[in-house]
Amino acid sequence: MEEDEGEIQEEDEFENEETSRELVVPGEVLTEDVKNFLPGRGTILNDKRDKIISLHIGLKQINKNYINVIPLRGIYTPQPGDKVIAIVVDKNPVKYRCDINAKDSAQLKPRNTESRVRGRIGRGRDYQRGPRPQRDESKTDRFEIGDILIVKVLSADRLNKPELTTVGKYLGKKNGGIVISIDPPKIPRVIGRSGSMIKMLKSLTNCNIFVTQNGRIWLRGDNIAYERLLIDAIYKIEREAHTSGLTDRIQAFVENEKTKRGIK
Amino acid sequence: MMDVKRVISTIERKYITNNLKKEERIDGRGLWEYRDFKIDADMIASAEGSADVTLGETRIITGLKYDVGTPFPDLPDAGVCTVMAELLPLASPLFERGPPDNQSIELARVVDRGIRHADCVQTKLLCIKEKEAVYILFVDMYVINYDGNLIDCGGVSALTTLISAHIPEGKYTENGIEWTGNYLTGEKIVNELPFVMTYGKIDDVIFLDPSLPEELVCDGKMSISVTEDKITSIQKSGAATFSLDEIRMLGQKSIEIGKELRNKLNLWQYKAKID
Amino acid sequence: MVLIIKDEYPEKLFREDGKRLDGRDKTELRPLKMEVGVLKNADGSAYIEWGNNKIFVAVFGPREVHPHHLAKPDRGILRVFYRMATYSVFDRKRPAPGRREKEISMIIADCIEPVLFLELYPSTSFEVFIEVIDADGGTRCASTTIASLALADAGIPMKSLVTSLAVGKIDGEIVVDLSGIEDKAGDADLPLAITWFNDEISLLQFDGAMDTEEFDKCLTLGKEAAEKIHQIQLDTLRSKYISIQESVKESSSESGGEQ
Repeated sequence: MEEDEGEIQEEDEFENEETSRELVVPGEVLTEDVKNFLPGRGTILNDKRDKIISLHIGLKQINKNYINVIPLRGIYTPQPGDKVIAIVVDKNPVKYRCDINAKDSAQLKPRNTESRVRGRIGRGRDYQRGPRPQRDESKTDRFEIGDILIVKVLSADRLNKPELTTVGKYLGKKNGGIVISIDPPKIPRVIGRSGSMIKMLKSLTNCNIFVTQNGRIWLRGDNIAYERLLIDAIYKIEREAHTSGLTDRIQAFVENEKTKRGIK
Repeated sequence: MMDVKRVISTIERKYITNNLKKEERIDGRGLWEYRDFKIDADMIASAEGSADVTLGETRIITGLKYDVGTPFPDLPDAGVCTVMAELLPLASPLFERGPPDNQSIELARVVDRGIRHADCVQTKLLCIKEKEAVYILFVDMYVINYDGNLIDCGGVSALTTLISAHIPEGKYTENGIEWTGNYLTGEKIVNELPFVMTYGKIDDVIFLDPSLPEELVCDGKMSISVTEDKITSIQKSGAATFSLDEIRMLGQKSIEIGKELRNKLNLWQYKAKID
Repeated sequence: MVLIIKDEYPEKLFREDGKRLDGRDKTELRPLKMEVGVLKNADGSAYIEWGNNKIFVAVFGPREVHPHHLAKPDRGILRVFYRMATYSVFDRKRPAPGRREKEISMIIADCIEPVLFLELYPSTSFEVFIEVIDADGGTRCASTTIASLALADAGIPMKSLVTSLAVGKIDGEIVVDLSGIEDKAGDADLPLAITWFNDEISLLQFDGAMDTEEFDKCLTLGKEAAEKIHQIQLDTLRSKYISIQESVKESSSESGGEQ
């Protein structure tokens, strides 16, 4: 039993009231009213300090007196606390090196994997007495190159490679299913406001889904037909992420396709 | 489907393999089904023939240029057709910049042999003056996007390029080679239409036209070039082994699939339109 | 290479009716079409058809620097690789990159760097791969113009786009957007590029002979033309998303609106 929709880390900015559907481009002047507005995310004050300029192609958003631009594309930047899907690309006695779809590869040290930590948690001097906790298969600390892991980012800054951990609820190695990738900025759309999109997808396709911040989504269904449909729906969400009424439209798409493809 | 910019994960390998054993492929195709071909020809103004071919998402843009030179001593009245391939870094983060590597050399050579041994290009028609001057044709393939099975895409791209050819016809004079005002077209110089079919093998399952995830996961491949009724060229690559029965089966299948493809694509529609 | 049809230049570059050989007026641009997101394996990509020029660009980055010794600890590095396909020119080009391609790669990198924030990306690499598959005058300008779209497509923060074109002199007249023949047979060729965040020139080369009045006119006409091209770049970026918004509206109004 290993399903989860991933914690909803942030509000879905795309569905946020403050996000307009106004598409802006790099260099575009967002406002010349620099007395009342401040440059927020994805924006900058020009050299003369009399205009706020967009740095991206994205959606304009006004939040209190900040003008922000939500970029439609961009690489994943690791933040502490993020849950991401990692693939082990290398290992040596002191650490695992993992690809987390970011600029740098990340590190997973053995002390941050389940069994060792369990060994440390205790009730003072008596911790070694009593039955040893059952080892959960998916959380053994023996990972191989090519393993898919759900991990949490412990730390990430400009100077050091991000550090990961498999300690935590729903974290650890995945033994089946498949992983797909979409643009990281569009992940909130797959989750939806209060998880509405992902709940709908799960119930209509009967699949387990784990959505993570680095653009990667793990899924597993009863059969490949359901899985293909779910994957097609996710790519459709990615393509239409900047439009409104998305949840209803995707629901209609999935229902229609089920009929068309002859899936119950 | 999956992000194939890096190491293939174990679960992906298992997913592809387990489903193949049930004759299911991740993109819904049958085991002997091609992805869609999309073809455009003669779009490059600077070239004497060209083709932009996409198979699934694998895209190869090929162009034809010519030179006039001395023939090989053992074939004094025959022109030369040479095939080159470049795997551009644009096409995939898996391609590094630099001189052609094994994969691009294999692509060029397999496509070249498929053309050569089918007697596709009538090299005797590429002779201007015996022992002195023959055409040297350069068929250069550039991989613009990589989504598996470069060879079959390249084969169609190179062949369509030759069909679309419009090479200025030269005559030998004492002042050098002069233009007759006419063109050597693909219609004149292309004799046969060879097609190459590439199969992947994972465990015991064999399938046509591997997509990228299938190609990265497979144990080996077999490429077979055919004309209307003959097998003209074969290349086995990768560490997989094939039984004699499997090879016979694939030979037979290739002739059948080759016929279907030849009819479906109807490549002669891409011949040059010279007014 | 031995050419049977020789690459000869015409005597006059203007027709009897006063138009240029391809029918254009002096300040008219060649037909120009751009597209973003054409190469799915790249972080950002774009394609341009400008006259007979056809050019693909792919952007990778921000990513780790390979080989590692080229990394700068305090800022990112931008590398541009401008390459031409063998069949992109009338006289077949050798496959290996030549000196001209390396020089142009450098010029384009220097031209684009001012709009990026390399200081925010220490030990990081941005790579721009340009492949010219058909060339007809002004490829470095077309490449720069389309490369800036590919960078925007990748989501990389930029102060603004960059727009580039070539102006020049043919048969004594100042013209905008030189074609291949005009470039080879004309009197002067001036490729330039403008970064819009500060309205300044970030690429400038010149070959030929001009007096200061002609030079001045070139810069003025060049800037005007660049403004037109910039608008096309911005429309291209937007249209990728706007067309999806429209088609989505159409399909939901067809099915009777949403609940």
